[in-house]
Amino acid sequence: MSDLGLIRPPARLTLPRLAAYAERPDSEDGRLERAGRRLLGLAMARSTGLRRHALRPILTETARHAPAMAALSDPELRAMARSLRPALRQALARGVPEAPAIGPAFALLQEAAHRTLGMRPYAVQLLGGFAMLRGTLAEMRTGEGKTLCATLPACTMALAGVPVHVITVNDYLALRDRDLMRPLYDFLGLSSGVVQAGQSEAERAQIYRADIVFAANKEIAFDYLRDRMLLRRTPGNLRRKLERLSAEGPQGVLRMRGLHFALIDEADSVLIDEARTPLVISGQVAGARSQDPAFLERALKAARALAEGTDYRIHANERRVEITQEGAERLEIMGQYATGAFRVGVIRDHAVVQALSALHLFRRDNDFVIRDGKVQIVDENTGRIQEDRSWSEGLHQMIELVEGVAPSDPRETLSRITYQRFFRRYQRLSGMTGTGLDAAWELYSVYGLGVVRIPPHRGDRRRFAPDRVFATEAAKWQAVAARVAALHGSGVPVLVGTRSVAASARIGAALEAAGLPHQVLNAVQDADEAAVIARAGQPGMVTVATNMAGRGTDIKLAPEVAHTGGLHVILSERHDSRRVDRQLEGRCGRQGDPGQVERFLSLEDELLASRGARWSRRAATLLWLLGPGAAALAFRARQKRVERMHARMRHDLLAADRGLGTLLAVSGEAE
Amino acid sequence: MAQAFLSQDWYRVAPLKPRLRPHVEIHRQRFRGATWFVVQDSHSGRYHRLSPAANLMLSLMDGRRTVQSLWEAACARFDEDPPTQAEVIRLLAQLHGSDLIAGDMAPDIAEMGRRHHDQSRSALMARLRNPLALRLPLFDPDVFLDRTVFLVRPLFTLWGFLAWAALVITGVTLAVLHGSELLGGVIDRVLSAENLVLIALAFPLVKAIHEMGHAYATKVWGGEVHEIGTMFLVFVPVPYVDASASAAFPEKWRRAVVGGAGIMVELALAAIAMIVWINVEPGLVRAFTFNVMLIGGVSTLLFNGNPLLRFDGYFVLTDIVEIPNLGQRASGHFWYLVQRHLLGIRSAESPVTARGEAKWFLFYAVAAFCYRISISVTIALVVASKFFFIGVLLAVWALANVFLVPAWKGLKFLVTSGSLRGRRGRAFAVAGTALALVAAAVFALPVPHRTLAPGVVWLQDDQILRAATDGFVAEAPVTEAAVSAGTLLLRLEDPILSSERRLAEARLAEMRLKLAGVAGRDAVQARLLREQVLHLEGQLDLLRTRAEALRITAPRDGMAMIPGAEDLPGRMLRKGAVLGYLVPQGARRYRVAVPQQTAELVRASDRISLRLERAPGQEIPARLLAFAPEGTMQLPSGALSTNAGGPFATDPADPEGRRTVQRLFLFDIAPLDATGLPFVGERVRVRFDHGDEPVGPRMGRALRQLFLKRFHV
Repeated sequence: MSDLGLIRPPARLTLPRLAAYAERPDSEDGRLERAGRRLLGLAMARSTGLRRHALRPILTETARHAPAMAALSDPELRAMARSLRPALRQALARGVPEAPAIGPAFALLQEAAHRTLGMRPYAVQLLGGFAMLRGTLAEMRTGEGKTLCATLPACTMALAGVPVHVITVNDYLALRDRDLMRPLYDFLGLSSGVVQAGQSEAERAQIYRADIVFAANKEIAFDYLRDRMLLRRTPGNLRRKLERLSAEGPQGVLRMRGLHFALIDEADSVLIDEARTPLVISGQVAGARSQDPAFLERALKAARALAEGTDYRIHANERRVEITQEGAERLEIMGQYATGAFRVGVIRDHAVVQALSALHLFRRDNDFVIRDGKVQIVDENTGRIQEDRSWSEGLHQMIELVEGVAPSDPRETLSRITYQRFFRRYQRLSGMTGTGLDAAWELYSVYGLGVVRIPPHRGDRRRFAPDRVFATEAAKWQAVAARVAALHGSGVPVLVGTRSVAASARIGAALEAAGLPHQVLNAVQDADEAAVIARAGQPGMVTVATNMAGRGTDIKLAPEVAHTGGLHVILSERHDSRRVDRQLEGRCGRQGDPGQVERFLSLEDELLASRGARWSRRAATLLWLLGPGAAALAFRARQKRVERMHARMRHDLLAADRGLGTLLAVSGEAE
Repeated sequence: MAQAFLSQDWYRVAPLKPRLRPHVEIHRQRFRGATWFVVQDSHSGRYHRLSPAANLMLSLMDGRRTVQSLWEAACARFDEDPPTQAEVIRLLAQLHGSDLIAGDMAPDIAEMGRRHHDQSRSALMARLRNPLALRLPLFDPDVFLDRTVFLVRPLFTLWGFLAWAALVITGVTLAVLHGSELLGGVIDRVLSAENLVLIALAFPLVKAIHEMGHAYATKVWGGEVHEIGTMFLVFVPVPYVDASASAAFPEKWRRAVVGGAGIMVELALAAIAMIVWINVEPGLVRAFTFNVMLIGGVSTLLFNGNPLLRFDGYFVLTDIVEIPNLGQRASGHFWYLVQRHLLGIRSAESPVTARGEAKWFLFYAVAAFCYRISISVTIALVVASKFFFIGVLLAVWALANVFLVPAWKGLKFLVTSGSLRGRRGRAFAVAGTALALVAAAVFALPVPHRTLAPGVVWLQDDQILRAATDGFVAEAPVTEAAVSAGTLLLRLEDPILSSERRLAEARLAEMRLKLAGVAGRDAVQARLLREQVLHLEGQLDLLRTRAEALRITAPRDGMAMIPGAEDLPGRMLRKGAVLGYLVPQGARRYRVAVPQQTAELVRASDRISLRLERAPGQEIPARLLAFAPEGTMQLPSGALSTNAGGPFATDPADPEGRRTVQRLFLFDIAPLDATGLPFVGERVRVRFDHGDEPVGPRMGRALRQLFLKRFHV
């Protein structure tokens, strides 16, 4: 009768969903969903090694296409790149891409990288690249060529028409990574841009139009926040699209095109370590109510009059001061004889808490430095000085008062976002790190990022010496100096990792006293530290660096050093997190190089020095009497405790953020 | 710890220009000497209580001022105690959540949808969580009430109140005067089948009038009533009206009257019913009025008027003591006390906003909790005893609401609460100690454990004196005395017997003579006569025995009792009639009936005592003599049945009235030293002491038995 059945209906044409500013809506996770994610996270954290087997097909697929790509001339290769675009676009539109769809692109990139950079990605780099393309976090050892590895997913995504953000820990690395790989991008006809501090708004808008944008995490998050301040006025994507069509047009210039795909280098530092404090944009406000100097001085005087223990308690771990009932009563009495704002209970108590914090919680040269007559915050993660940051709610002014510096104008929060919220807004998120395993659970339960362990190209040849624990810090520095002297004498390059700028200065002084030539890298002089750190592998070099200084830069060993045992890393302290220790340890032994790691600890180390560590300190002292090695156990236990505490702070931040979302629904969309 | 005056999130709300929606009305009220403002949302019918500072800000929300300027205005006006930024944000969130303010920004449609979804979800959850009180709105009675309110307006005046008071006083007086009549057999009347039908008719009617009371009271003072419906309280349909408009009344007594109108109506109905009840003949009308009294009087006083349950009485109380939301805030305050003093959380905040509230809160929280637990358990048990499966499910649900939900919340608080940070150890210690104390009280603290059972004086058959033959009582020397074996207790006379005996003796003599006459002559005749002689001798023996039986002597030593012996002489006694009792010294037996669920315990009990019903003040130690190994459905004595005032219900179909509806086990006990005489048939209360045992195992046993009984496992 009819042959209708034979006529195939045409494949349904689906147009991509257009968004005026791509970002994933904040997911409204219910309690069960969150619990489920946490449970799933446990499983994900246990199976980091297993999941790489799903990536294997990419190797065969790439190998299958490689000969064909190798046969093409340069222009043909470029034409091939263009012709691959529609297929890639489709493959990515379907969600998580499969190996057959990506194989040709990776083969092409391999070939192009070989021709432009002279480097051909290894199998492990292909695996890592594919893992990232699939929205997971690739754990790769230091020195495995992560920069090259990142070009694979970045270029593939860019070819598919997805704007790519490559997020690094600092401006220098953003610029370096882009410049290193720029020939490849140029070859493929992909535009690339680097966001650096100090660029104007118009410049940035121009840069964000590039296919691949390199930026430090803070820059990109602040740019997003600034965009959101504009976008917030017109909530809803539909409204924005309409507005674009309307005669008035959008109000103000947006910097970004949206959050499409992020590839985070050193993902654990960005997603975990920096996620404890939200990002805040603040601005100057004209004379607010509680900021007149007389009032601040009155509050400071009151704070000095209070006694610790009875009137207030210090919770050092949480960086919080609590006024007790007795303290509140004393303040009440003080308030009755005062004038102005100090009479008002809530304002007075708040100011006194800030004054107590300024007096007891924030320490000069540790939390802040005084430079050019200004209080400047020292970033607790990077140890760098944050020039344009300040504490809010009068704390900054209070610290200025305590330090006797001219008071600055109070600043007020204009916009705020947590890292958790920001990165979850990316439609696709991926990353790479050397130390993701310890944080696998949190990465999954918070960001939905699974960790895949990529095996090293060559085996690990590092040697670890047992921890050495000293009674006093002075003894430790002496021992470190002696050790450095001995190693320096035999021509072994030494890297001394420190925890803070102050510690760097102290070991520097000790080395100076011992007459050892050395380089100190810390927040005060960060201009050419990458160059210094790159030279740290030369024979006889002595380098002192905070853990963040020169991160992302490989320490290449001089040929003769390889025979003397490679780079010798001395950890002068344990950090708050085992991961940071591992990052420092990862400075040596790249790509199967030899290396040595030693830890010098003292009972006066900061890890045990805080007020909350009283018990750990006592335990460590007791164990130390048994044997210096035994005390190392107490250090690790304390470290674990601090790790848990920080995890809890992040968890609280997330929970508070979630609660705020509903509380502040009145103000429209969140940032 | 001081609340932060400034909030980090202030920037989010500071530039907003909120505008109060037009449908919002604000009413000024005074609570415990402080001024508050009640915000009425006439769309949702909800009310929010605001402090003056919040009210100032709310009133200034005109869509032109920013939140920043509103806050500054509030700070300037209330400079002694300015609102913190966090408080302002919370206020805005609350107002926004209730749709009371509109922003200057275009609304976020997705957020509105989400909010609606959340609201309907939580409403559904609230219903599911309380299946014993489902609400079903029916219609909007406002117009009807408007048109009819003139009819009742006179009632809501001073004169109306006086008339009502007079009516109720009359009713109460009459009820007191006719108290015995009213209460006589009240249980029987209430639970009989035909009366249940009458209750089912009267209940909705009374409740409907009750609700109209609320509705009109609201209406009379200008409130609006927009919802009337049916609530299913434990599956019984009960009408309800939404009289929440009264919350806006500035006068607390008017609010209280609206809350109490239902109770007042019911009391008036009960009073009218009382008057009718007295004046009509027994019949349907009288039965009906009785039920109206029962509902209007008893249910009102026990449930509706009880402020510990969230019924009318509660709202009247909150209005009179000027503590709105008493129940919720009371439990809030209770937890505040726990957190503050037991857990040492300094940052805990008390919901107390005025002087004197704290005491109310503490008292109410404790009293209401205890009452709620007892009422939940009771309802659950009653329902479970009628419809087992549904009942058990409901019971589990109700008990979970009372125990498990708070326990789960408490545990979650202990484990996850941020305010416990640094004190979690202490919190666990406190909670653990409290739990351990409760567990110890339930499982380790021995409390006296007793079983009380009724028994009757039990006589063995050989202890009953019976007439061995018919006869007239000639002599009854003993009424109540210790006798030795052979003592004459009663002498009967039987005139026929003695003449029969004489006749038989004469005939025997005759026969013997005749026998002597023919002996040796006529062998045949002689044998015949010999037979006759033998027969007569036998008859004479029998008569002699019967004559002897006329003398009733004590078969052995003991206490003889012949009730009414002095009246006996001259009375005819039939053979087998019970004359009295002869109880051996020291042998006293009580037969005790025990329901089967306690039989096992009773069997093992070794400390037994009894009290005679005639002398309940005297406790007599006793011991267990014997027990029947199998249960029975037969009462040992009618004295134990409910008909005779005993505890066991009997099967009405049984003519003897001794068949029980539950299985019993019988035990025989004897007092350790038996002096004096028992009253035969007398009931005793026997106490079996099982030693001191904690409550926990006992409840476990009871539960196990309940399930054994139901599932026959």
